[in-house]
Amino acid sequence: MRRFSGRNRSALIIGLQGIRARKLRTLLSMVSLFLGILAVVAVQAGASIAERALLADIELTAGFDGTRVADLYGGPPESVDIVVDTVTGRADAVALVQVQATIGEAGVSPIQMGPSGSYEDAKTEGPADYCNTMTEAAPVCPPIGKAISVQLNAVTGDVRTFRPYRHVSGEWLTFGTVPAMAPRIVLNKEAAVAFGLYQVPAAMRIDGAVATNSITPQFIGVVDDGQGWPQAYVRMDELTAWTTTANAGMQVLLAGQTPVEQVLTSKLRAKNVPFDPYEVQSREDFKEQISLMRLLFLGLSGFVLLIGVAGVLNVGLATVGERVEEFALRRAVGTPRALLAGIVLAETLLTGLLTAAAAIGFAAGALKVAVLVMGDGDPFLAGLEFPWQAAVAGIVAGLIAGVLGGFVPAIRAARIPIATVMRA
Amino acid sequence: MTALIELNGITKTLKGQEQRRTILHGVDLRVEAGESLAIVGRSGSGKSTLLSILGLFDRPDQGSYLLDGQEIGKLAERRAAKLRSSHFGFVFQRFFLLKHLSAAQNVAMALVNGQGWLPRRERRRRVLAALDQVGIAHLAKNRPAKMSGGEQQRVAIARALVREPRILLADEPTGALDTETGTSVIETLLGATTRGCALVLVTHDRDHAARMGRIHDLTDGVLTQRVRA
Repeated sequence: MRRFSGRNRSALIIGLQGIRARKLRTLLSMVSLFLGILAVVAVQAGASIAERALLADIELTAGFDGTRVADLYGGPPESVDIVVDTVTGRADAVALVQVQATIGEAGVSPIQMGPSGSYEDAKTEGPADYCNTMTEAAPVCPPIGKAISVQLNAVTGDVRTFRPYRHVSGEWLTFGTVPAMAPRIVLNKEAAVAFGLYQVPAAMRIDGAVATNSITPQFIGVVDDGQGWPQAYVRMDELTAWTTTANAGMQVLLAGQTPVEQVLTSKLRAKNVPFDPYEVQSREDFKEQISLMRLLFLGLSGFVLLIGVAGVLNVGLATVGERVEEFALRRAVGTPRALLAGIVLAETLLTGLLTAAAAIGFAAGALKVAVLVMGDGDPFLAGLEFPWQAAVAGIVAGLIAGVLGGFVPAIRAARIPIATVMRA
Repeated sequence: MTALIELNGITKTLKGQEQRRTILHGVDLRVEAGESLAIVGRSGSGKSTLLSILGLFDRPDQGSYLLDGQEIGKLAERRAAKLRSSHFGFVFQRFFLLKHLSAAQNVAMALVNGQGWLPRRERRRRVLAALDQVGIAHLAKNRPAKMSGGEQQRVAIARALVREPRILLADEPTGALDTETGTSVIETLLGATTRGCALVLVTHDRDHAARMGRIHDLTDGVLTQRVRA
């Protein structure tokens, strides 16, 4: 063991001496390898960031991996009450009751999203192309007026425990306080755009409301919930003060290991309501797709890396050719062939690692600059950090390049005959 | 009594382009610890081939090579490298100093060779002792380019002595030096014999050969001991 250690140390010492003695050649090797390793680092970083971005967007709508989700539609009216009573006040389960609401003038069709699917080119006047649920029963849709339709999500607790809605402005709902008569509402980005573009009266009507008068909502904040149409979030108790949720659609989000699931299953089955939550497994679902994309790009960057390896090999062979006498002399003073090969490999490995460090540093710096320059424009870039997987990939690429680039020169160095020094 | 080195009937044949050429014909040689001997002969007489076999750089085709009574003529390369490190020191006509290393680092090359590991402090002590032995400890930090030919050869000798070898093999060590410097280098080499190290000197120079304990002539691969008057 001690001998093995001595050989490694000797190879490292002599390798470092060799690098110091041939700085220009080392630099040239590094230059030829730099792009290859940078390509590997960039692909790995890009794939990790893309994976994170993809999952982050999916998490907004589907929930964190491991979350269990159950949809309840069309059950008996009391099933909603059973769920709400069971999960209210709990941190490991949240129920969302979804109803349609219109905010603005009464007796009109709401402003309708444009062909691009946004409110930027919305239809704001004239006959309505379709009726919302408030006027669906009417034989003819009333004309479009100053009103915006949103899907209102009444929540029993902080749904962000399961779906990481991104804060945009204002504040999120608070649940420990007395419910307000004027419901506090958090809009999603799409709804905020609509209310920012169009002035509508602050009067809200809700599907199935028991109150005949309009409700005056309070907009307290905006979040990014990943949805492409207007959504609003309100406390369940602030909504039920005005309307019944008996016939509404409902979704239940549960933590992975919560006893609530068993309780709900028992209670709902007693009412002949099926309750079969499924588990969110976004990472698993997209694993194959992401792996394939990553493999494809890694293949391409591997090709660039090979070109770099050829550069290292070329410089390595030239260096060994130049050092024939040195290696012959080292053999003469008792250096084993294996150590001579080790010296050359140590040099190329150190070169590969130095290049990897440079490429990783460059990539991390570039990402930091990109975040600084463009972070304000794209919320995803804000707080983005260099993925550690990319650094590992860079180091592995450097080691592989060092071994591949140094292998043939190492064999040549080990085969140099000692008699070279006698004939000189 | 067992000799330090004993060659019996060593024969070496090299393959030429058209025919095989016998370089050494049944060479016999005994070398005792602490003695010095010179091998003289014309160019192409086989001196360097004999030295290659003595230094385990090459293997004889026939004959036996005993070191302390043990056959070492057919050793595997790994064991031969270990013996070269522990028993032999080499000095060549060209100094073969690495120009990017200091004198001390050049000497330390023989210690950092994968045959055991010495702590840095011990390496430094041995290197300085070897440089001191050849009288140039004050040049330890100098690079070869800043040294004279004689000084460079002394560094090469220190490199050969730093592992305290039992046999010092010198191949024309004064060939690239002027007479005065050459004489000084021979004195340095002879100094090693006072510590029990055997010296085998290959040389063209009659004066240097005359300073050795014995002289052997190598003529067309046949080694004969010269009888001194």
